[in-house]
Amino acid sequence: MELLPQYVANGLVIGSFYALSALGLTLILGLMRVVNFAHGELYMMGGVIGWWATTRLGLDFFSGLLLVAVVLGLFGWLIDRFLIERIRDQGEEPGILLTIGLSIFLANTALLLVGTAPLKIESPLAGGPIFLGSVVLTKARLFAVAVSIVLMIATYLVIQRTRLGRAMRATFQDPMAAKLVGIKTANIYAGTFAMGTVIASLSGMLLGSIYSTQVSIGGLVSMKAFVVVILGGMGSFAGAIVGGLLLGLAEALWGGYVATGWVDIIGFVLVILTLLFRPYGLFAKRAERA
Amino acid sequence: MNIQRNCLAGFMLLAAVLPFLVSDQYILHVAIIVMFYAVLATSLNLVVGYVGEFSLGHTAFLGTGAYAAALLSTQAGWPMWATVPAAGLCAAVMGTFIGAITLRLHGPFFVIITLSFSEVLRLIANNWVAVTKGPMGIAGVPQPALLSGMSNLAGKHFYYGIAWGLLAVALYLAYRFVNSNAGRAAVAIRENRYVAQSIGIRPLHYSMMALVLGAFLSGMAGGFYAHYISFVGPEMFRFAFMVTMITMVLIGGKGTLIGPLVGALLVTFLEEYLREAQELRLSLFGLIVIAIVLFLPNGIMGFVTSRREKYEKKNGTTPASMPVSGTKRRSA
Repeated sequence: MELLPQYVANGLVIGSFYALSALGLTLILGLMRVVNFAHGELYMMGGVIGWWATTRLGLDFFSGLLLVAVVLGLFGWLIDRFLIERIRDQGEEPGILLTIGLSIFLANTALLLVGTAPLKIESPLAGGPIFLGSVVLTKARLFAVAVSIVLMIATYLVIQRTRLGRAMRATFQDPMAAKLVGIKTANIYAGTFAMGTVIASLSGMLLGSIYSTQVSIGGLVSMKAFVVVILGGMGSFAGAIVGGLLLGLAEALWGGYVATGWVDIIGFVLVILTLLFRPYGLFAKRAERA
Repeated sequence: MNIQRNCLAGFMLLAAVLPFLVSDQYILHVAIIVMFYAVLATSLNLVVGYVGEFSLGHTAFLGTGAYAAALLSTQAGWPMWATVPAAGLCAAVMGTFIGAITLRLHGPFFVIITLSFSEVLRLIANNWVAVTKGPMGIAGVPQPALLSGMSNLAGKHFYYGIAWGLLAVALYLAYRFVNSNAGRAAVAIRENRYVAQSIGIRPLHYSMMALVLGAFLSGMAGGFYAHYISFVGPEMFRFAFMVTMITMVLIGGKGTLIGPLVGALLVTFLEEYLREAQELRLSLFGLIVIAIVLFLPNGIMGFVTSRREKYEKKNGTTPASMPVSGTKRRSA
């Protein structure tokens, strides 16, 4: 039992990483209703480009982060305008197949370009443990948690407090009415997709400085992100954060007390139970028909 | 539909003649894999094309069947003619269980819950080392005793015959299902759930039927695969398998019986052909998948049907022909 605080702390740290990496998907899956199987690959691209910027171009961590945001933002915008745009309003199937194709393409092209080796991004804070009572954490992890929180708050403020955010919410409530009041919905869709892409890629770079970035990580990230979004409820922002923390905690405790080999199963069991008993997520505000 | 039935019969006839003309083992192997995938695509099509729910968990049934056949033959020593149907039955039981849970959900929720089930099964196969031997997989699934005295080529011919038989069973069952009242009820549910309910069709009942039938067929395919490759590992549940299957169904044209066949042929040949491109292979495959979604949204059969309808309209041969099943898009 003396390890419990450590497990909880680990769970919360990993949980906030899960929440961050699923945040982009909350926008794309939860609001746009695109079941984005390329989410993990966008995350991976953030890590790879961040690695390339910091080691090959010699940029420091934060300029690298900025570069990743700009490049992937543009990329996300283009994906939406040229690919997703053409299959909008056709149900979820074309979107699923399209993003699966995209994820195969991105993962394997990245594999050709940078190979399979794990890529390590230097964290801006030199490592070194911090002792809080009986709990040990590293500085780099705390830093990543802090950046995650800043990113989440920033995204929340953009959606809730800005004109752009209001236009986004209007578009996803009723595209026709939004068009009638003069919102350029095509731009809003592309902008939302770009925003989701940017958040996914930033989390990819940030977490690449904690663990490492690998080209083949995409599938796993996508799965975890789906789990988090379903747990929290589609499109619920606070839900994604709670869902991430819940998943992190459950995995840390299960791994600590039961068996480490079975850790990955928890997320999926949680998803099945959630969908069975609370189909609209643990924290969804409105119960809508799927 | 007569054209559909004749095409299927013609295809099966051609497939039956093939082994007498070909004695190249590689070509026979590719043909066996095509038929294996055709069974899988046909079974997946029952759910995706006729019930109209997008299942990403079909590998659950394939893997259950493969593991069932492998365990029954290595542990209990059952012969192949018993393990393959038993594999189908095991998968059908699994289908009843999973279907009863998942078919209550629709849209993106259905997609994710089916995916979760196959992931759970993959993790069980990976971690329950006592039974499944974990990531090592079950190697050395025995070949039928009949084959011990035969040459490699005769062995290929033998497996070709079994694959042909499986495909014939799959197509026959699918054909009978689609042209029965149950199949029409399933299509009614796909086209409009509420209207179907209002005339007394119970959605869960008929979609369960389609799913369990699909599970049975893919379980048998899994059992066959276990014997043919003589190895079963957790990668049977992997997402890559699912991607291949779903690509076949959608490229060929969901909601038609010929579509999955055409898709299985095309995708298997494409994968073999792309081997020339080596590392670029999967990148190209991804691009092709994207292109198909954008330019052939109803698959090849949908394209053919719409061309024929246009042609007939221009010539005025038939007054507004009956819409062919599966060409209507579901508006979500």
